Amino acid sequence: MSQLGVLTRKELHGTFTSPIGYTIAAVFLLVLGYTFSLSLFQTKVANLNYIFHQMYVLSVLLVPVLTMRAFAEERRNDTLELLLTAPVREVWIVLAKYLAGVAMVWGMYAGSIVYAVILGLYGEPDWGPIYSGYLALALCGSLLVAIGILTSSVTENQVVAAALALGIVLMLWFIDAASSLVGAPFDQLLVNLSLIGHFRPIATGSVFLSDVAYFITGTLFALFLATRWLSER
Amino acid sequence: MTVERAAPASTGAAVVARNVSKRYGPVLALDDVSLDIAQGEVFCLLGPNGSGKTTFIRMLAGYLAPSHGALTLAGHDVTTDSLAARRKLGYVPESVPTYRHMRVDEFLRFMGRLRGLSTGEVGAAIERVAAMLMLGDVMRKPTRALSRGFRQRVGLAQALLHDPEIVILDEPTNGLDPRQIIEVRSLIRSLAPRHTVIMSSHILSEVEKTADRVAVLLGGKLRGERAVGASADLEPWFMSLT
Repeated sequence: MSQLGVLTRKELHGTFTSPIGYTIAAVFLLVLGYTFSLSLFQTKVANLNYIFHQMYVLSVLLVPVLTMRAFAEERRNDTLELLLTAPVREVWIVLAKYLAGVAMVWGMYAGSIVYAVILGLYGEPDWGPIYSGYLALALCGSLLVAIGILTSSVTENQVVAAALALGIVLMLWFIDAASSLVGAPFDQLLVNLSLIGHFRPIATGSVFLSDVAYFITGTLFALFLATRWLSER
Repeated sequence: MTVERAAPASTGAAVVARNVSKRYGPVLALDDVSLDIAQGEVFCLLGPNGSGKTTFIRMLAGYLAPSHGALTLAGHDVTTDSLAARRKLGYVPESVPTYRHMRVDEFLRFMGRLRGLSTGEVGAAIERVAAMLMLGDVMRKPTRALSRGFRQRVGLAQALLHDPEIVILDEPTNGLDPRQIIEVRSLIRSLAPRHTVIMSSHILSEVEKTADRVAVLLGGKLRGERAVGASADLEPWFMSLT
């Protein structure tokens, strides 16, 4: 267990000293600040629904770029050989990378709390959907990081890792659109696999256990696959 | 071809390989290799590039698993008891990888902690290996700024931090200048018999000056193994095998 701490500290150090992380966080917060100002001045409505969906879209596009280095860089620099020949379980290596990725993504989300504070200072927002919106983002961000870690574990090419993650996430986003093309029971299966279908209810204030379970199960499944892939020698 | 065998230097076996093969898809990289490596000896795998040396070294280090056969390291099967086997070894890959964003002291601290040393133990271990490998001047430097020679020393330092029974070095003198080669050679000799050293090389003279025993790999097959005496001339023997 102490090795998980050692590995996580190393990953956090790598993440927070990388220009990629800061560049992505800057782009994320800049675009968000712009759209928040626009939506606030145009609608004059004290809620963050639009911002949460904006954050969802930005996360889908940017998290694969954040996570692409995770294993791909270790493979390219041969440092994976050091990790995998040390007396460390593969699951700790995967979890450490996941925790560092989640810390970075949640950190970016935390930067947007200032918008909620502004709404609280100058309006009377309904806080329920704001809390659940952050819950939706936290869950969705975790799943996106786990998918990015998985795709990074299968290649030494960072661009391939990012493209694979983006492809998987976009497929999950739009998969329910194909439900009308297939018969029962597959139509329901496709609907239940939809990323946005599980994100939207929580982001708008309706927290269902099934939606929470979707994100947690997906995250655990992606991390399990990454660990299995890494264990393949 | 009959495999020539020489008696191990001492009775205890640090490594036992039995009918070990490794297949990458249709390519058979290592073919039915069996050998014993005694405790405390410097053992060298000799062969040209692509002969299967790195594949065998990587299997010993636990980075690859054998497709067939059994491989035991310090009494632990590298496949079924992998963690215990990995605790017994220190390993320096051929490319001597380091984390480029870390300083040398940070890198050694990380590797020491990863190999199970406590916070208290790791400081003393770093002091010990830094003195042994004369790293004092570069400890605060980023690893990306090191010369190849110092990078090799840092690689050796991380492999020795936890005082392992077995030290595995893949082509340890690759890319070094003559002076650095002599230093590394002398260091390797100084590790035995306290540690079992297993190294690979494609340079015959290197083996003659460093190893107690040598095995020749060609095309993934073990062609022969023998002891290396003080005045050994391996060339005729090597030529007869190839």
